[in-house]
Amino acid sequence: MKFFILLLASFTSLLTFAQDGKKVQFVGGARSLISHSDFTSDAEDTVTARKNTGGYALIDLGIKINPNANTEILGMLRIKNAFGGFWGSGVTFDVRQLYVKGVAGNVLRYQIGNIDYKLSPYTFYNHNPDLLVQTSGTNKIKEEVLNYESFYSNKNTWRQQGAAADFAIQFPKFVQEIKFNGFITRLNPSNLSNILERLYGGGNITLTQSKYFSIAYNHVSVFDLKQTANNNDAYRNNVNTLTYELKFDQEKYKVSVDGESGFSSSFSTQNNEGKLSDYFVNAKVNLELKKAGLKLHVGYMDNGADFRSFGAQSKRIDFNQTNNFYERYTNEQIVRPLSNYDLYNDPTLYNASISTKIMAYNPMINNVLPYGTATFNRRGLYAGAHFSDKKKIILADLSYYRLSEVRGQGTFELRKFNYLNSNVRFNFSNLMKWKKQQVLQLGIAYQTTKRTSEFDFEKIDLKTLTLHTGLELEVIKDLTLLGNVYYFNTNGNEIMPIRNTVGDIINFYGVVAGGDEYNLSGGLKFNFSKDIYLAAIFESNRNSLNDQLAYRYKQVMLYYIMKF
Amino acid sequence: MKKALTFIGIVAVLVACRKKELDKIDGPSLQDLNGQFSVITSLASSKDSVDFSASETVFFTAEFSKTIAWKLDIIGLTSGAVKTIEGTGNALTESVSLWAGSTTSLPLFKSENCKVQLTFTGETDTLVDYVKVLQPKTNAGYVVADFEAGFNSGWTYFIQSGADMDFQVKSDITAPQGNAYYNLAGTVDWDWLIGLVNFKATAGGNPTFPLNSNPNNVYFNVMVWGDGSLTNSLVLFQFEEDENGDGTFTAASEDQYAVEIPVNWSGWKLISLKYSDIPCLVNGQPAAPNGDGVHNSNKIKQVNMLHLANPSSGYAKAKLDYIIFTENGPLNP
Repeated sequence: MKFFILLLASFTSLLTFAQDGKKVQFVGGARSLISHSDFTSDAEDTVTARKNTGGYALIDLGIKINPNANTEILGMLRIKNAFGGFWGSGVTFDVRQLYVKGVAGNVLRYQIGNIDYKLSPYTFYNHNPDLLVQTSGTNKIKEEVLNYESFYSNKNTWRQQGAAADFAIQFPKFVQEIKFNGFITRLNPSNLSNILERLYGGGNITLTQSKYFSIAYNHVSVFDLKQTANNNDAYRNNVNTLTYELKFDQEKYKVSVDGESGFSSSFSTQNNEGKLSDYFVNAKVNLELKKAGLKLHVGYMDNGADFRSFGAQSKRIDFNQTNNFYERYTNEQIVRPLSNYDLYNDPTLYNASISTKIMAYNPMINNVLPYGTATFNRRGLYAGAHFSDKKKIILADLSYYRLSEVRGQGTFELRKFNYLNSNVRFNFSNLMKWKKQQVLQLGIAYQTTKRTSEFDFEKIDLKTLTLHTGLELEVIKDLTLLGNVYYFNTNGNEIMPIRNTVGDIINFYGVVAGGDEYNLSGGLKFNFSKDIYLAAIFESNRNSLNDQLAYRYKQVMLYYIMKF
Repeated sequence: MKKALTFIGIVAVLVACRKKELDKIDGPSLQDLNGQFSVITSLASSKDSVDFSASETVFFTAEFSKTIAWKLDIIGLTSGAVKTIEGTGNALTESVSLWAGSTTSLPLFKSENCKVQLTFTGETDTLVDYVKVLQPKTNAGYVVADFEAGFNSGWTYFIQSGADMDFQVKSDITAPQGNAYYNLAGTVDWDWLIGLVNFKATAGGNPTFPLNSNPNNVYFNVMVWGDGSLTNSLVLFQFEEDENGDGTFTAASEDQYAVEIPVNWSGWKLISLKYSDIPCLVNGQPAAPNGDGVHNSNKIKQVNMLHLANPSSGYAKAKLDYIIFTENGPLNP
């Protein structure tokens, strides 16, 4: 018994709750928004109400109970009151969060109810493929609101309902540690008629051999439970991957190789002919020059055309939905399409669910990796760099992808993609050693898609550019001046696939792009404390992506945001 | 470092293993979609005549020079029934054009000759063929009333003594199923009720309708005709449950579910409702049922049909046919 098991005392101690001795705590947040907008279009429009005033106040009131040191229960209610609503009119009550979590027997960590979960980028991962540039200033406030509303975090987790558990075993020799993670969630209930109960589950086993090498096996599966409805055709999507990391750490530099490789199979139990299976490989070499504060990587990815992993390929935004903000305009009351900036403006466009269909995307926003790293039918090289000086005056990220399709769509000719993304953050306060924060942030995303052919109807040439500049200047203590310039331009054409309900391409439609959208905004933000602030924002937006139907709007917004 | 190089080597081998996919494309060929259209093989049916009542089927074939959106209309030359099948492709095959006798727009097909017409989006070509229906398809389910044998003596009715009252079974070519339907018409200027019919399970020799006990699997279907110019008719269906099995429905202590259908369309329309979705109504408003509050589809003793109209709205007119309960899905006529 040399390989005796060390139950993770240190691990579990991190999970001990109610360290301050409080058995019941109130947690949550509150937010109020009042907005006024003024909309005009170049096309004749005597129908649309130009000006719109609205808003709401909401409170998320949670009660966190720690019946003992190893158990935590949270229930959170949302009370929302539309601006102008009172005494029941416009007031809604919802359960926002509900979970129980804890540590069983000082070994097994568990959570039941709402769980925020991820595994690996190709199995279960909440990519963010539509907001391409990092934000600051006014846009950062909007992004924080939409992230809070949909439970998105910078850890790329999906909020699901189900159960999760994990534990680890430590060894004295040869292997440092083995971690086990498992989860099960419910994607849709049975209707007791013809729709089967659909679950999503999986887990991983991570073996850390030493500080130099670790490897993990990941598995996820979407599966219908037979006999939960009058339907014998049960759907299955299984994904198995290996993630790995090999490190070589020296005083002046660190070299590592990491990546993920695996395969998927998707089928229904009564239609084996329609089975899709494919694999992917993604590996990169990393070099960190410690003194210079520079990290570099170069990698290769090859995602098969039939690789399907719905936990990693679900998008935050369903591009088939319509706007809530000035949904229709012009005298013909045409539907106003989702614009690039709408993605910042409207938190209700986002969802928190896993889709088991191939979700629609906007090629003008992200045509290169519309489903993030896990996008199927992509192959090629990528590289990137991250720089941060010791005083954190400059933080810079750069990434570049040069990809192509693996299999052509409607033709043997393949699309070729280029994608450059960079974000730079200047912390002038660190440079000048000021206590007040002075930040300038710049972001750029540039994509090209090209398909050459001897036939004009097969040719594709699409270019999109997103630029963002954000400024945060703390002018007096706790009062910050905010400013943003957001610019989006697109030109060219794309030929987009039309898919049937099972995801097969049945036809194509042409997209012609030409025009731009810009958004100028400024505002003031006053911090009452670290978690409470009031912000006033004015913005002016012009969209001429369709030059016949160009429009503009101005908007004033007043946010009051509190977390407790 | 050797380990790292070995690892990179393994990854490189994995990458090199991918088979070339230069012989495959996703979706239909763009050259097919954008090329010149022509008919390679004309429209043909797999058989000249078909007996749907004997579970026979018929399919249609044709071949074109490119992938195109097509529409196949099968039109009953006597009934006027239409079955439409649409698709996209460069051929009509059994898998996309199989017809088992169903209809897309009422009436149902009868024993009749049918014209089969194939048209294409953006092209002027129309291909035509004919097929004969020897016997129409029979539908699985429990038929409450199809009026083919007249007014069942086990049903009861009440007709107001208004003006131009015309509540009777009629037989003519416009019936959506078979040859007969029930006509509802009249003017009653003092009451919403114009007339009603009680369809009793006992008329079919059963204490309750012989239905599945799972209300999620039971569907109520009825064909209703609207005048189009007279949109004041309301048809109310009530479902009375004999929960305690004493042979009678007691309104004060047993459930009655109801659905009110405003007849605001022109022509025949199939209404299908899942039994578990049907609410309890009191004066047209949702209310709590008086019994156990459970949809007991296997305990429905009687279905009442009430023809209603606002007394100030004048003459009201509607027609009914083919009241049928189906299981596991709505009626696929």
